[in-house]
Amino acid sequence: MEEEKYISDKLGRRNPFTVPEGYFEQLTTKVMEQIPERRQKARRVWLRPVWWAAAAVCALFVSTAAWLVIPNESQQPQGHVAEVIQQSQPDDAFFDEAADYMMLDNQDIYACLASAEY
Amino acid sequence: MLLNPETQRQGFEAAVRQYGEQLYWQVRKIVLTHDDADDVVQNAFLKAWNALDSFEGDSKVFTWLSRIAINEALDLLRKNKRRMTVSEDEYSVASSLLADPYFDGTETEALLQEAITQLPDVQRTVFQLRYFDEMKYSDISQMLGTTEGSLKASYHIAVKKISEFFKLRD
Repeated sequence: MEEEKYISDKLGRRNPFTVPEGYFEQLTTKVMEQIPERRQKARRVWLRPVWWAAAAVCALFVSTAAWLVIPNESQQPQGHVAEVIQQSQPDDAFFDEAADYMMLDNQDIYACLASAEY
Repeated sequence: MLLNPETQRQGFEAAVRQYGEQLYWQVRKIVLTHDDADDVVQNAFLKAWNALDSFEGDSKVFTWLSRIAINEALDLLRKNKRRMTVSEDEYSVASSLLADPYFDGTETEALLQEAITQLPDVQRTVFQLRYFDEMKYSDISQMLGTTEGSLKASYHIAVKKISEFFKLRD
């Protein structure tokens, strides 16, 4: 490129900037002094029993709800049970209700499910 | 080492030691002053540490760090532009640099930096990486997340503008 040749002939490519003496020797130390210890591992350990307890209660709630909703082939649904079946909600809604009940939000559940430690 | 939680801190320190200087110079050419470059580099490493979980090893460590550092540098430029008063404009860049104890260049080199500051931020970054660091377009593309075609066009426009800047003064 002609213009690039014009600039490099006229100006060169030298780096005209400098740094205080010893700057780079100290840079690593300065940076590492500001780096906090990672705390995710401790947080996961603290939450683990809470999460398992919450997951167990959630599973109980969901399985009970599913048992009430899924029609039994040998029986005709009657009365209150028939009403529940007719008003049955999609599965996702049960999970949402369970999560709301347990006051867990989806991100916490997904984060625990996605954790490599489990 | 960076992907293993047990060796992350050691691995990160090794990366700072290995790439710190290179990253500093990339940033310095964008922000111009040593104090700003020092702040940007330290903030960039801190952000990189906090975002380590998002690094999946699918790019080179240096490319990943550069992306963070360059974004930090560009953020600083945008903040500085918003703070600039009416009396401060690009034409004082050369005189500021010549008065800077950490600028060792000639008046012509100071004018070159002034010409570069007149480019849009990303174009300026592309010019610095290509002209001074002679980086390959493929590497710049990974760093900035832009296509090689856009980068070539951007560089070509930057070179044209800078050569016109000097031809007007010849």
